[in-house]
Amino acid sequence: MKKLFIAFWRRNLAFSELAIVSNLEYRFNFFIDAFVQPLITVGIELLMWFAIFETANAVQIGGFGRDNYLAYGVWAPFLGRIAVSWMYESMMVEEVASGSINVILTRPISFYEYYLSQLMGYKVTTTLISMIAPLAVSLFFDLPVHYSRLPMAIALVFYYLFLVHTLSFVISTFAFYMTRVRSLTLVKNLTLWLLAGELVPIDLMPPAIAKILLLSPFPAGVYTPVAYITGRADSDLVLQSFISVTISMVVAVIIGAVLWRKGLQSYTGTGA
Amino acid sequence: MIQNLLKYLGLYRAFFKASLVADLEFRLNFLLLVAGECIWYGTQLLLYEVIYRHTNIIGDWTLEQMRVFVFLALFVDSIYMILWDPNFSKFNDEVRKGNLDLLLTKPVNSMFMISSQKVSISHLPCLVFTGAGLIWALQAIPDFSWYRLFWLFLLIPSGLSVIFVGRLALNSTAIIFSRADFLQYVWYSIFRLGLRPDAIYKGFLRYVLLFVLPFAMVASIPTRFLLEPIQLGFIAWALVMPILLLTFMNWYWKFCMRFYSSASS
Repeated sequence: MKKLFIAFWRRNLAFSELAIVSNLEYRFNFFIDAFVQPLITVGIELLMWFAIFETANAVQIGGFGRDNYLAYGVWAPFLGRIAVSWMYESMMVEEVASGSINVILTRPISFYEYYLSQLMGYKVTTTLISMIAPLAVSLFFDLPVHYSRLPMAIALVFYYLFLVHTLSFVISTFAFYMTRVRSLTLVKNLTLWLLAGELVPIDLMPPAIAKILLLSPFPAGVYTPVAYITGRADSDLVLQSFISVTISMVVAVIIGAVLWRKGLQSYTGTGA
Repeated sequence: MIQNLLKYLGLYRAFFKASLVADLEFRLNFLLLVAGECIWYGTQLLLYEVIYRHTNIIGDWTLEQMRVFVFLALFVDSIYMILWDPNFSKFNDEVRKGNLDLLLTKPVNSMFMISSQKVSISHLPCLVFTGAGLIWALQAIPDFSWYRLFWLFLLIPSGLSVIFVGRLALNSTAIIFSRADFLQYVWYSIFRLGLRPDAIYKGFLRYVLLFVLPFAMVASIPTRFLLEPIQLGFIAWALVMPILLLTFMNWYWKFCMRFYSSASS
């Protein structure tokens, strides 16, 4: 058992290192991804909330003050970028659609694991670097951020990433059955983005919609962790998110496994 | 001159036909793409609808005025998406795989070739939706003079020139650095500047967004032409700015081409 775990850990570590190395190979590209883009996004969100409070002539909106919204505007895009998988999902779909999946099928690692470890390696690296922007802005403006809650919030987002990756896996299995899958990725990611609460805090939405959204696993990507670190929510919501992500993951894994198995049976690998 | 224009129009018609056939070949994919774009545009509307539940005014606009702005911004965005976005999205791949070589050898302007080969047919329904939304939003404006819509014939092409040059300039920078895929994502961040009303930007930044990175010309200023008294200075700027931008782009494209090394041979 121990040997099996060590072998599992080593090969996953190797693939996450591969992701880190390949992303750091082009440093300008990485710098843009991990630093410049988050900084621009944070700046635009700050301006937006400054203007809303300035012109609304209100001390509070929806029960929270300006600084609370600024904190939300700073952290939501940052966590939102962690909680999404465009690049690796596209690569997974492409592998299945083009037939280059043959190479992975012959390796002593599953397709799911191969991309999961790469995704995690990439996300850990970009998170570490890009966190500088929201941290610096929060400290500079003295925003109401509970820094002691950050590890739990980040842990929740990374746990949510397992669900995101499983959904990517499900989407990629559609490439066994369909010729074009890109549109599925687009629709799925935009839906997740909307439901996660990055665009606008979920508690500002009409109460009935907010209640339903909070029961779903998707706010675990953005709203719940940001609400937790900015004091809009407590640990009960975090726990609820962990539970709903777990349940959704079980469902997604079952669907993915069935589609994968059926897909592989109908798949014919060609080429030398 | 006219012969040249006809040649490019003919080419564009051929690109349109090829794109139409290609996009409609996979119908489910096409429908999902339309659905995806509708979700994206819906989220932009939702943002303001939710915020206005808690406040009466943002910048200097009410909800009715903001709807005009949002629909106009999305309308301009739809045009951009139809004409250029698919081409710019695969720009880096074209450079890396060496397909740019082939385009450079053709007896047609290389910027035109790389930016216009693929037309996004799936955005045509969005153009209709956002256009209808704009008309609906304008109906809610008291005493709106519909003649003001004629200003859009000047201002929309002007705003499109900002998007075209901005995106192409960022993409061209990827030629200098052999790999800069993520510059594309920077574009999406910067473009958010254009999806926010100019009134939220104050002082120096507002001037930057009017005259240096003129994203305010995409939808904010056209909205002001529809809703507020006309400012003559902006008419002049809307005429001059595209010329300046395209001249700059022409120079910058040639500059970037000096760094291009063929990838396919």
